[in-house]
Amino acid sequence: MSEIWLRQVYRGVQGFRLHTAASLASEINPAEEEFRTLELKTVRQEKRTMRDRKKTPILPPRYKRQKLDQNWGNVWPTARTFHPATVPFPVRQGYPATGQPTPDKWGNAELMKIPNFLHLTPPVIKQQCEVLKKFCTPWPAGLETPAKQEKHFPATVSTSSYLHSSPSLRDDRARIVTMKVSLKSLELDDHGRDKLLRLVKDHHDPKTDTLTLVADRCPLSTQNRDYCTYLLTVLYTEAMKTEPWEHEKNVADYERYVWEGSRSEAAARALFNARDDSPSEDVLTEYAKVVTELHNEGEDDSSVSRYRESVLKLVGLT
Amino acid sequence: MSAVLREGRVILFGRSCFSQNVANFLMPGSSVRNLSTTAAVQKVQSGRYKVTRDRSRPLTYEMANQPCQIAHRKSWNSWNTTTLYEGLREPETVMDDVFIRKFMTGTWHNLFVSEVIIKRQHNMIRIAGIVQQKLAARKMYFLIGYCEELLSYWLKCPVKLELQIVSDKKDVIYKYI
Repeated sequence: MSEIWLRQVYRGVQGFRLHTAASLASEINPAEEEFRTLELKTVRQEKRTMRDRKKTPILPPRYKRQKLDQNWGNVWPTARTFHPATVPFPVRQGYPATGQPTPDKWGNAELMKIPNFLHLTPPVIKQQCEVLKKFCTPWPAGLETPAKQEKHFPATVSTSSYLHSSPSLRDDRARIVTMKVSLKSLELDDHGRDKLLRLVKDHHDPKTDTLTLVADRCPLSTQNRDYCTYLLTVLYTEAMKTEPWEHEKNVADYERYVWEGSRSEAAARALFNARDDSPSEDVLTEYAKVVTELHNEGEDDSSVSRYRESVLKLVGLT
Repeated sequence: MSAVLREGRVILFGRSCFSQNVANFLMPGSSVRNLSTTAAVQKVQSGRYKVTRDRSRPLTYEMANQPCQIAHRKSWNSWNTTTLYEGLREPETVMDDVFIRKFMTGTWHNLFVSEVIIKRQHNMIRIAGIVQQKLAARKMYFLIGYCEELLSYWLKCPVKLELQIVSDKKDVIYKYI
């Protein structure tokens, strides 16, 4: 067993001392000579105590230093997570454990999770409204009633903007622009109105007599708005124009029933002229009115009874 | 040649046989493996802590209420508009939340005694939570500034930390089980 080998084997062992010729040769104190124990495991004699950390003093909660008549808007100016030391009143939240009261506001994560409106107390809202007042202008004179508003501003343009809790404020749907115009304000004649209605088809609502144009084909809302105005201009100009081929419109194309020149008129006139007692023209006009109503508005108990009356008058049975 | 028992049919590898009666194959010398099964227990284990014998495990309110109690006795830890109808950017927000939680619990090492609460309002991120009072106030201020600054650079949003300090972590213990 060489010395180097022995040193290598027992290199980690505390208290290992190799007795070699060299050490034997050196002077050894006989009083200290004793059998050494081979300690394979180090045993610490005393346990090191942890350094006494300075206990940071726990300050009293902040609300104790607040005056009772303080301006709460200054204490809680914006939306903020609930903080128990700043809020002066006691609040409890949570389901109580058996035999325990409802958890109080100290160390209550549930109170911190929920949104609070401590930044929007009524006095604060009032103050904010007062400040905002100087940015407001009065309602324009001459636009008091809806009728006046409709007269001066017949077209309505609406867009929506969208907010998300994200770093980006882009939303695709914000480019959509809707324009609503009442056809009354366009002041078209019969031909123009008929032509416009044929051009727009579904976009016209007959109940409210409004034309709705929705544009979403361009990436920006300003572009879509311009497109809407362009569409309206084109529709109006086309409706006002009369193309040469429009005279080819025949009876089958008529959007409403017209009594003058119809077979009903021919038959009624024949009947009217065949009568011996000369009745007044009112009978014919009434018959025309009733037949037109039947065709255009549809059949109804009252309209059918009116038709019956007018036919009897025409024939001369009443 | 191994066989697999499946829905009353026995399929032998290398040779397919259609057999209506499985018992034909349970002859001595045949190579059939059986599978023994029990009824499924279908036990829910999520978010539940085991009861100790001497009631020594402390639970916070968050831990004591299981996930089924969310919206009953518990609230959400993450508030944003991504889960609303046609809300945008949901997966990115989730990943950002995961990152924020890891970052906060790592930076405030062993100091958080509640979950990290993340609230998003417009483009602001407000991070809240309950922290122990183990550090000096100056170190806390530094950590708050450090977290706010770095997170705002990483997430491209203004970040605000709203922490509550608790002197002893025993203050947030709700019950012992």
